[in-house]
Amino acid sequence: MSSQITLTSSDGVDISVDRTVAERSILIKNMLEDLGDSGEPIPIPNVNEAVLKKVIEWCEHHKNDPVTATDDDDNRRKTTDIDEWDQKFMQVDQEMLFEIILAANYLDIKALLDVGCKTVANMIKGKSPEEIRKTFNIQNDFTPEEEDQIRRENEWAEE
Amino acid sequence: MAPRPRPSTRLSSEAPSETSGSTSPERAADDDTDFFMAQANDSESSIGVATFRDLHMSNTLSAPLPPIGRLPPEILIAIFSKLAAPKDMLSSMLVCRSWAANCVGILWHRPSCNNWDNLKSVASSVGKPDSLFAYAELIKRLNLSALTEDVSDGTVVPFAQCKRIERLTLTNCSKLTDKGVSDLVEGNRHLQALDVSDLASLTDHTLYTVARNCPRLQGLNITGCSNVTDDSLLIVSQNCRQIKRLKLNGVSNVTDRSIQSFAENCPAILEIDLHDCKLVTSPSVTALLTTLRHLRELRLAHCLEITDSAFLKLPERMTFDSMRILDLTACDQVKDDAIERIISAAPRLRNLVLAKCRFITDRSVSAICKLGKNLHYVHLGHCSQITDSAVIQLIKTCNRIRYIDLACCNRLTDTSVQQLATLPKLRRIGLVKCQSITNQSILALAHPPRASHPMVSNLERVHLSYCVNLDMLGIRPLINNCPRLTHLSLTGVPAFLRDNLTAFCREAPPEFTPQQREVFCVFSGEGVTRLREYLNRNMGPHLDETEATMYDDDEELDEDDGHVAGLMHATGINDEDYMDVPPQ
Repeated sequence: MSSQITLTSSDGVDISVDRTVAERSILIKNMLEDLGDSGEPIPIPNVNEAVLKKVIEWCEHHKNDPVTATDDDDNRRKTTDIDEWDQKFMQVDQEMLFEIILAANYLDIKALLDVGCKTVANMIKGKSPEEIRKTFNIQNDFTPEEEDQIRRENEWAEE
Repeated sequence: MAPRPRPSTRLSSEAPSETSGSTSPERAADDDTDFFMAQANDSESSIGVATFRDLHMSNTLSAPLPPIGRLPPEILIAIFSKLAAPKDMLSSMLVCRSWAANCVGILWHRPSCNNWDNLKSVASSVGKPDSLFAYAELIKRLNLSALTEDVSDGTVVPFAQCKRIERLTLTNCSKLTDKGVSDLVEGNRHLQALDVSDLASLTDHTLYTVARNCPRLQGLNITGCSNVTDDSLLIVSQNCRQIKRLKLNGVSNVTDRSIQSFAENCPAILEIDLHDCKLVTSPSVTALLTTLRHLRELRLAHCLEITDSAFLKLPERMTFDSMRILDLTACDQVKDDAIERIISAAPRLRNLVLAKCRFITDRSVSAICKLGKNLHYVHLGHCSQITDSAVIQLIKTCNRIRYIDLACCNRLTDTSVQQLATLPKLRRIGLVKCQSITNQSILALAHPPRASHPMVSNLERVHLSYCVNLDMLGIRPLINNCPRLTHLSLTGVPAFLRDNLTAFCREAPPEFTPQQREVFCVFSGEGVTRLREYLNRNMGPHLDETEATMYDDDEELDEDDGHVAGLMHATGINDEDYMDVPPQ
């Protein structure tokens, strides 16, 4: 019974998708509720076709998940377990990974944002600062004195 | 090379205007509007975001941004919050300036003070006038309970400037006095939860400070602060009106005056624990139940003045659908009429403790049957008028029971226990001093009927002290058929008071008299495993044969999936059941 709607990506491509799938995005769900489904394509100005397709693939796979209850505390925040399908799904280049995270944030798909953040957290875990910089191609903009000061003032976190 | 920040130039909310966020596009919003607050619930505190005072953008923007550079601060923060280990957070801080600014708030949200070296390091950074970040403002949770009596008023001086602490846990820091705690609380408008249990020297002074400073307080635990009186609690109830959780265990001066004021002024209360507040009387209980419409948990153990009228005076037809936990341990003036009334008005009770309500009879048990599947935990120890027929009825209607204690219900026989053995979810059973029960009961627990039961017994803790008729014929099958068993008490059971068996017992508590040591017999954790191995290795082979022929289910032992559900342990039956101590 689920009807189809059309989303238009930032690069102007129309993508047709089940309404129930698209409604994993709270942004789209609210738009459809507020404006009604006019049958007009819904513009998604911040997300290009490649990324939007990826996001839809994720929503499709997770369309039957229970809507996450109100976010509860540390349990949810502190675990970085990711289910197998999601792990595979997130095996993309960094460019795409961060685009997915940004899109999930923009489209308000909390569970996807969560998986994305966990994926990045897992790329950080157990690495030295230099290894992290290498992983993400980040430039060290500290002076040696600052680095030293951070180490000293946060000594308790070393253990 | 960019100039380094001047020593005194850390950023703080009170910093001069030249440090305002307008100079830095990467600067995060202040912590009242950050990512976490947008979806905050009451149990979650906000994460602070800090930045350096001087962020030299010419430097950070000179190189092209890597892909990760596109993530805005709130997403970086969400990522860093997934890091559980402080070490990983520190490594992230050391990556670059913007990561440091976005991660420091998470690292310092709850600095780890679980040993003295850490505490010293944390305190010294907090107190440092020229630190790189304003750490004092980032601390949202401070827990010094691991350091117990090493913490003195002097220890906490550096933390007095942490005015954004939301959860302050000082449990067992028994050397702390009013001075230390008040200095921590004074000027803090953000405090949501304060736990000062067992800081025995605290007085009204500390609580006046709390009342004056902490309008957002939601949780207050002053267990064992026996000098505290109604005078300060009255003011707390009037000023801290968002309170949800209140523990006054052993605050023996508390009377109806302050409790009724809490009922009147603090409608958000979910949990209240008045254990051993012996001056509290029935009108308080009636008031709490009538006015607190969200009340989930009401603990009144040893409030000896409470009578039937506490419940009989509740308004007609009023129901208490939020109530989940009711503890009336030793409230022996509460009898069947009251129990019938409260059970029918609180149909969703999950935990019910009526231990030592010694006048209740089968009538109360029949009332409890109305709770049906909602009832998970029931303690009827010392309710010695209860008979087999009531227990059998209870088991039939409340078949989700996980924990049941019937200590000293000495009218009960094997008939009751055989029925109890059919409970599919049973994890703990307390039968201390049920002296009529025999090996028949234990065999039933070891070999419950298949139809009603999972393949493997869920039993984890079995309390059988002073069940004097028991011997190896019952106990051996029990330990062989309950792979999850982690606690078995057999104190005072003659058949087990033999050196070759007590070798696997744990130590008797130090305060025990020689006579008590003589009969002490509790197997826990590894002790159960070792006892099991010993019995199977050394006891006569005829036992093995008997077992194998009678109960052909050795293979079930392999089904243990290794899960030991620990969730409920905290609320469970007290370990120290060498006597028959009620829960908690």
